[in-house]
Amino acid sequence: MHKQDPRQGLHLLVIGVVMLILLVPLLATFLYSISTSWGATILPDALSLKWYVQLWSDPRFLMAFGRSVFLCMVSIIVSLLVIVPLAFMMEYRYRQWQKIMDLVILLPFAMPPIVATAGLLQIYAGSPVMGTPWILVGCYFTIVLPFMYRSLVNNLRALNLHDLMDASSLLGASSFQGFMQVVLPNIRKGIASAWFIAFSLLFGEFVFANMLVGTRFETLQIYLFNMRQTSGHFTSAIVISYFVFILLFTMLANRFNKT
Amino acid sequence: MSYLTVSNLAKRFGDSLILDELSFTIEKGEFVTLLGSSGCGKSTLLRCIAGLTQPDSGYIQVDNENITFAPAQHRGIGMVFQSYALFPNMTVEANIAFGLNLRKMDKGLVQQKVRQAIARVELQGKEKNMPHELSGGQRQRVALARALVMEPRILLLDEPLSALDARIRRHLRQQIRQLQQELQLTTIFVTHDQEEALMMSDRIFLMNQGRIEQSGSPEQLYARPNSNMVAQFMGTYNFLDAGNTQRWLGLQTPNGVAIRAEAIILDHPSLSFGKKVSQPIASIITEKHLLGSVVRCKVMAENTVLTIDSLNNQFLPKLDIGSKVYLRIDPCECVVLQN
Repeated sequence: MHKQDPRQGLHLLVIGVVMLILLVPLLATFLYSISTSWGATILPDALSLKWYVQLWSDPRFLMAFGRSVFLCMVSIIVSLLVIVPLAFMMEYRYRQWQKIMDLVILLPFAMPPIVATAGLLQIYAGSPVMGTPWILVGCYFTIVLPFMYRSLVNNLRALNLHDLMDASSLLGASSFQGFMQVVLPNIRKGIASAWFIAFSLLFGEFVFANMLVGTRFETLQIYLFNMRQTSGHFTSAIVISYFVFILLFTMLANRFNKT
Repeated sequence: MSYLTVSNLAKRFGDSLILDELSFTIEKGEFVTLLGSSGCGKSTLLRCIAGLTQPDSGYIQVDNENITFAPAQHRGIGMVFQSYALFPNMTVEANIAFGLNLRKMDKGLVQQKVRQAIARVELQGKEKNMPHELSGGQRQRVALARALVMEPRILLLDEPLSALDARIRRHLRQQIRQLQQELQLTTIFVTHDQEEALMMSDRIFLMNQGRIEQSGSPEQLYARPNSNMVAQFMGTYNFLDAGNTQRWLGLQTPNGVAIRAEAIILDHPSLSFGKKVSQPIASIITEKHLLGSVVRCKVMAENTVLTIDSLNNQFLPKLDIGSKVYLRIDPCECVVLQN
């Protein structure tokens, strides 16, 4: 008969406590977002989806949501256009520089966003990009670089890159044709995974957006910040909507990572 | 004029010399094997001919055209890789058509050529399969078809059979050789397996430390190795030093002789077929291994260990470990070593 490990109970307890700590605020926020009012009673007075209806019919929210999606998409496309060829070249031609590259991609982690924004505000003071969403595209590139680069390099390493490129050139393909027709289709899952990870990261970005652009280009996080004085039920609905959206993206990223 | 000329080809990687002023020629339609142990430079030589590695000096000429610095895609050379290097995102058909499509050939003609190539390597019915759905042998045949469909001037095969199991390997060896003879295709085959080299080649180049140690027909390399290294690589050779050669065979040689394991005759009272060709050399059987049709014995003759291969016939089972036997060696079978 299978004997149960006595430590298993303890392990389950630890996991249960951690899950509770993580989930309670989320469940409470959700409950708050679907309650009409919740004051002096233990449970809400009544349940309703009115805050969601109000939120999703607010043109200002929809615009902020659209702006966030637009900004993330532009940043990700620009980042992919730079990082995909970069990862390919590092893996194919300059493998000896890989260690230096590993250090370079860690640099964004070394600088807290608030410090980076202080520097950027000084450097770009008076520049036409300051205060426009375009400066965020550059900032967001630095945020997604480590995640995208690592994901793509791992994908390229799983390919027999050198033999595939050699075979394609012996069949008459230029390096560009080999990259486009052989390498790119074989790393599409890595690209999709990098895309979803980057989206999940950037969609919730607040510090750069608030400090460098602010209300001139109201993204979802800035909208949430500006709405902090309004009803708590309403802001809870924003948080839950945002959370569900990010959850979907993270699940997609994980799915592509596994396959 | 030879079809392929390689002259004074040299290549270094850092401090190590990989190709050491190599020169040789190959005729049109010849099947040449580059044989040698790992790191002897055979794959680097192949890559230089293919245009995938640039040599430091020397030149390569194909059909009177100097291709030393021509890009790989313009050399008209086909190559089959050890790893197959099939494009994982493409079907068998698309893999084979890849090069033809790059030449912007008419679609109907591409389809016809692809069909022919698939039939040639006996892969009908697998056209729509992806590479991961094929066995190792099938993948290698797709790689072969992909190279052949381009009608290359020279076909390079870089250890194409080394990742396959013995039965498929034997079958593919025959298939490759048959195709090469049918198409009269100049072929360079890289391997470290001497049996493969002996079976398939018109000529073998035995490489060692970036140089060709000996070249010649399989028979020449097997029966007449010119050095200790070649003899060791080509078969199970025994080496007799100058002293033993003088004493046992009455031959005077500066470096002794090499003798193949199957050329030493075991003589025993129970063996009546012993050919009396030299003075009997008294020895004791120390090891005995059954290799199918051949039995390999190790014997101690005075202080020298010799390996002997004998046909597995009715007399041999009587020879047990510890049995006293006499060896007889025909001096005509001995190869006098140059170095």
